[in-house]
Amino acid sequence: MRRLRPAGSVAELPTVTFGHRSLMWWGTLGFMTIEGWTTALLVACYFYLRQNFVSWPPLRTPLPSLLIPSINLAVMLISIVPAYLVERAGKRLEALPMRRWLVVSSLFGIAILVLRWYELWSLNIRWDTNAYGTAAWTLVGFHATLLVLDVADTIGLTLFLFIKRMPPKTFSDAADNSFYWYFTVCLWIPLYLIVYVGPRIF
Amino acid sequence: MHSFFHPTSPQAHVVTTLWWWMFGVGGAVWLIVVIAMLYAARARRGERGDDGLLHVSESTHHAMERTVIGAGVVTVVILLAFLAYDFSVGEALAQHPDRALTIELTGHQWWWEATYENPDPSKRITTANEIHVPVGRPVQIKLRSADVIHSFWVPNLNGKRDLIPGYVSSQWFTADTAGMYRGQCAEFCGLQHAKMALYIIAEPAAKFDAWLAASATTAPLPTDSATRFGEQVFLTASCAVCHSIAGTPAMATVGPNLTHIASRRTIAAGTLANNRANLTGWIVDPQAFKPGTLMPKSTLQPAELQALIAYLETLK
Amino acid sequence: MTAPDANLPADVTLTDAAIAEEAATLDAVWRDAPGFWGWLTSVDHKSIGKRYLITAFLMFLAGGIEAAMMRAQLARPENAFLGPDRYNQIFTTHGTTMMFLFAVPVMNAMGLYFVPLMVGARNVAFPRLNAFGYWCYLVGVVFLYVSLFVNMGPDTGWTAYVPLSGPQFAPGHRVDVWAQLVTFTEIAALAAAVNIIVTTFKMRAPGMSLNRIPIFVWAQLVVSFMIVFAMPAVATGSTIMLAADRAVDTQWFNPAEGGDSLLWQHVFWFFGHPEVYIIFLPALGLITPIIETFSRRRVFGYSALVLANITTAFFAFGLWVHHMFATPIPELGQSLFTAASTLIAIPTGVQIFCWLVTMWSGRPRFTTAMLFVLGFFFTFVIGGITGVMLASVGFDQQAHDTFFVVAHFHYVLLGGAVLPLMAAFYFWYPKVTGRLLSERLGKWHFWLFVIGVNVTFFPMHILGLEGMPRRVYTYLEPTGWGSLNLLASLGAVVIAISVVIFVVNLVKSYWVGDVAGPDPWSSSGLEWATSSPAPSYNFLHTPIVGSRHPLWEPIADAPVLVGLRTDRREVLLTTTFDARPDSRNHHPNPSIWPLYVALCMGVTFIGSIFSPYFILGGIGLAFIGLAAWAWQSSHPAGHELIAAPEAEPV
Repeated sequence: MRRLRPAGSVAELPTVTFGHRSLMWWGTLGFMTIEGWTTALLVACYFYLRQNFVSWPPLRTPLPSLLIPSINLAVMLISIVPAYLVERAGKRLEALPMRRWLVVSSLFGIAILVLRWYELWSLNIRWDTNAYGTAAWTLVGFHATLLVLDVADTIGLTLFLFIKRMPPKTFSDAADNSFYWYFTVCLWIPLYLIVYVGPRIF
Repeated sequence: MHSFFHPTSPQAHVVTTLWWWMFGVGGAVWLIVVIAMLYAARARRGERGDDGLLHVSESTHHAMERTVIGAGVVTVVILLAFLAYDFSVGEALAQHPDRALTIELTGHQWWWEATYENPDPSKRITTANEIHVPVGRPVQIKLRSADVIHSFWVPNLNGKRDLIPGYVSSQWFTADTAGMYRGQCAEFCGLQHAKMALYIIAEPAAKFDAWLAASATTAPLPTDSATRFGEQVFLTASCAVCHSIAGTPAMATVGPNLTHIASRRTIAAGTLANNRANLTGWIVDPQAFKPGTLMPKSTLQPAELQALIAYLETLK
Repeated sequence: MTAPDANLPADVTLTDAAIAEEAATLDAVWRDAPGFWGWLTSVDHKSIGKRYLITAFLMFLAGGIEAAMMRAQLARPENAFLGPDRYNQIFTTHGTTMMFLFAVPVMNAMGLYFVPLMVGARNVAFPRLNAFGYWCYLVGVVFLYVSLFVNMGPDTGWTAYVPLSGPQFAPGHRVDVWAQLVTFTEIAALAAAVNIIVTTFKMRAPGMSLNRIPIFVWAQLVVSFMIVFAMPAVATGSTIMLAADRAVDTQWFNPAEGGDSLLWQHVFWFFGHPEVYIIFLPALGLITPIIETFSRRRVFGYSALVLANITTAFFAFGLWVHHMFATPIPELGQSLFTAASTLIAIPTGVQIFCWLVTMWSGRPRFTTAMLFVLGFFFTFVIGGITGVMLASVGFDQQAHDTFFVVAHFHYVLLGGAVLPLMAAFYFWYPKVTGRLLSERLGKWHFWLFVIGVNVTFFPMHILGLEGMPRRVYTYLEPTGWGSLNLLASLGAVVIAISVVIFVVNLVKSYWVGDVAGPDPWSSSGLEWATSSPAPSYNFLHTPIVGSRHPLWEPIADAPVLVGLRTDRREVLLTTTFDARPDSRNHHPNPSIWPLYVALCMGVTFIGSIFSPYFILGGIGLAFIGLAAWAWQSSHPAGHELIAAPEAEPV
């Protein structure tokens, strides 16, 4: 083996970074890619099954209601604001504002989950009635699992911030949490259109 | 009997011819690669450098570039040629006449139900596991499944088509030579997938017409006491719960239609030759031949069994 | 990055004493905890990689035993060794084991073990995720085999087509076992893929720009992306669709309610075709360094090889319908897939041409590893050619679901993946264990294996074209298939003997093999720049790389970057394209939480077969573990903490 010759030092490099410079960001991106792609596959299955029906929803199946889903969509879109404020505070290394907005985010998250529960039951069809019911429940239900993970992560992070001491990388983790929040909300927009608006138009 | 290498229809011929071309060219390609590999393995080129590695001259490097590019180009040309050939074979297979003898085949676990449609209901034929077709006339097989996915495959006559619940698919072929062609279910369908064979018997038009006419008849009435008793056994024991015999009250469609069972060459979807010993053994305990089959063991007394067999043997 | 520390004299190599002291300090920080607890809590990629390799190899042996049983049954017509029910469980388990529990995990394992070493990193990007992936995989292994032994083994093929695998025709829990097994292996593969992608992007040695990474690392990177886009399809199909149809009456596949049996095939094969390239491409990646090393030449056509890899990966996602040519798919669609399935041979061909000219321009030395590479050319090309044949719709409709296809895919899997893998074992075993495998036993292994594979599988081409379908537990005597089947079964005996020799070699050499030293083959990759086996911290200091073949650079000494902390686990992160030093990252200490969460996932998914309450319970327990995992991230030992928000001025 050759002898080792020091040619430089990395000791002054930072230990906390944001965005694509941080490993956790990449991990989050990886998770989002997997879940987003899974969603795309489920959407493809939804449209594949649609070919088997003359009308959609099928005859004698009512349309899904619009009220609760639309309220939930609005709440989700608004929830981007506190998530953004968490990210901004995190990048500025401001712990107190970051914690404050995380609390707000957590509350929004809980509201969204409660609304999502009612949303499932306002699809006006059961998952086992026909393939349409199965597909609609799956799109809404699968996205609900992403919401559950997102909200659990947010609440967990918030609780950590009430404990005495935290490591600096928590700022970066909070920013990544917001990143995932934007993804989860944005992913919902096309799903909302497919499940609730699509059958009314086509 | 069931070999792809003995095509007996234009559909099978065109594919077998393609195969021989692919085999020839493919075999040659493989041989060339192996020879090139052995040559490369034995070659001693390159000068050893100070770094312990071998180095080649600029011109040798260019020769290597040309070789790789050249081989790549040859590969592309061969593949494109075969692609064109594949498409032309596909075109040929997709051709089908407007008029053809139509046979509806329904796959069951683990037997084949065949119906020859006819606008005249008295000429409709339902049979099982053995299909007759006329030589030289186009045949259309319409494929459905009653339960799981099966696949209809008679190698001498054509490639396979799947029978998929919820779908009706079709395949056309024209037998050009008389003969008995064996096929076997080619999509794993459960416990007795291995023993779900069928026979297609291609015969000259006259013989086929005769068969068709004979098959359209109802079962002959029993003529002696033994066969009368046998018919009674059939109708009152559990046989009639699943099987039908045209001309009798037995009309169930769970199992194969037995109206002309005695004229079939095999029983149990090609598993056993159709003779008295096998028929008896099959009825007594189907599970011994096809474990898992849906036909239960029989509870008949020996006298009943004998009479039943005598009756079935009259169903030509 | 700063200039060398003032205390370090510039341009002077480190003394042995300095190195020894550093090594001891680093080892104290990076090594596993002692004893069994240490084994359970390890987050060292080498420790986890070794487990993966051993477990996957045991699965290869298990799958082989299943194959032997199948060949014993099929050696004669109407044989009574295995009845249909047992045979169906055995062939299903054989396929499921080989595809899900051997082939993909072993390639993941090679990546997880070697990629960090090849790129100059101390560990993978997410060490606990790595451990978690392995434990999930192990849960899957145990689950499948316990089920098989209690007569609850899945029995509808590794492809589990509906409706046969649906609630109506497959009552009981056998198919549920299959569906949940897929979930575990999918989680493990995705965890491995994310780890390999992020490690390759962010943790390379300075100077190792993307166009300088080893070909094997390229293969792992490309395949990891394939895993990310392919695995979700099979998980969706098996868990969200099939398991749901069976457990809670969803109607995905029920035609009576608008469902569709073909939907299963599309979803499964959208995963299934890329799956075989996920297995095959890393094997191709293993070949380049072996040919380079033994031909004493840098490989010809690095860029072509990389591009071929990437092209194959893309094409692989456009082939899946060729598994469905016998179904009522529109002809135009079939033609597109014929074209793609034919043209995908081109990039693989290019790779073969590059390797052949590399060998030609060098003086190849035929160690066992190189023999296996030759075996690969000889065997795989046959499988590749039959693959191009099967791309033709007309021919495929004859050969599909027959022993011709069985022959084809065994030729490409054994020839194209297992032979290179065996070559790789002979090449890298010294790096993992510090000892060389016996060349004498290796040659016996090689010849018997290659002969055995060809004797077993070549006759199957003929059997298929003579009318023999696949997945049959027996066949009738008048079919005439008996003699070729017997020949194939005898070939299987030869394979078995060669594998026994291989196992003997692996075990014996561990104890009495020649000591290897850091670089027994005078190879070029960074993994050979450290001891064999590598120390817990992989590299004493971060190597600086100046070319694609670091150890073949004509320099006198090895430039390194110093400055990573030695009082806690710290790794260097570099920029994605050019690998310039960018930041330092605190890596986790050993942890029990990955195992705990994996067990909770086990409870959740296995329990779901029996009752939905297990899902809630399992997830609840998992959340506790995840919270502890996150807590451990937040409060690692030796990490400075800042005061909580309250203490900060507003």
